[in-house]
Amino acid sequence: MQTPRPLAATRRHFEGFAAHVSNDLENELRAALRHVDPAPGFASRVSARIDSERHRRWLPARFRWMPAALAAVVVLCLIAGYGWHWRREQQGLEARQQLLEALRLTGEKLDVAYRGVQDVSKSTASGNAGNT
Amino acid sequence: MLRLLFMTMLPLAASAVVRAADAQLMLPDFPALEAKANESVNVTLDSSLLAMAARFLDPNKPEDAAARQVIAGLTGIYVRSFTFDGDFAYPKEEVDAVRKQLSAPGWQRLVEVHSRKDHNDVDVYIRVDRNRANGLAIIASEPRQFTIVNIVGSIDLQKLHELEGHFGIPQLKLDERK
Repeated sequence: MQTPRPLAATRRHFEGFAAHVSNDLENELRAALRHVDPAPGFASRVSARIDSERHRRWLPARFRWMPAALAAVVVLCLIAGYGWHWRREQQGLEARQQLLEALRLTGEKLDVAYRGVQDVSKSTASGNAGNT
Repeated sequence: MLRLLFMTMLPLAASAVVRAADAQLMLPDFPALEAKANESVNVTLDSSLLAMAARFLDPNKPEDAAARQVIAGLTGIYVRSFTFDGDFAYPKEEVDAVRKQLSAPGWQRLVEVHSRKDHNDVDVYIRVDRNRANGLAIIASEPRQFTIVNIVGSIDLQKLHELEGHFGIPQLKLDERK
């Protein structure tokens, strides 16, 4: 049966362990973060890369207005298209209204003609009945 | 060969255009009537406007569905109608100019109604080409209303008959008269 160690002895044991780990970590960090000089030409390569990226991403200065102009044209086209569609719809609704009005008037006048023909037929029939 | 075909088809196409145009009357604007009218209706629907109107007809509405059936085959609808507050004597010259057009070959008077009681005069003309009606004209003079209707295109009287109840047209008894 193991007898429990006194508290002071346990603390000393852990402090010794922590100091050992701390020294190892510090050494490793020192090794990893040591100063390393860049390879020769590193700065010029980075500059060249930046320049090439800049040329690839952006249009030449004289064409830089083009995206804005393109966006403006698209917006204008959308507005014009909506206006055309709205006008077309109004014209269609007006044409429909005119068509229904024309058919209503045609029906009305045919109705008048029909009633006139019916009246003549009735008066002719009653005249014939009176004669017989 | 193509040239020969073109030369053959051109007069045929031209005659078809002329034939359709013959059914269209030259309706004046009747400025004198418009000036005195309480209400005036001026409808000018050519084939493109008829097609546009047809797209806006709701097939679920009976009136619209009937209209859609009637205008199938039509190439134009022209209406001049004037309503007056009081009895009005119409200037005869302009009306006679329209009547003169209806005396051209092809036009036949279908119905002529002169009612002394109601003072209504209604003349219905139809234009027949190769046993097919391709034009209709109505001239209606009432004491307070004057109306001229000109319908151009292939007119199916049966479809006109089917308008009953939708636009105030009564039972025309077309079947019984046959």
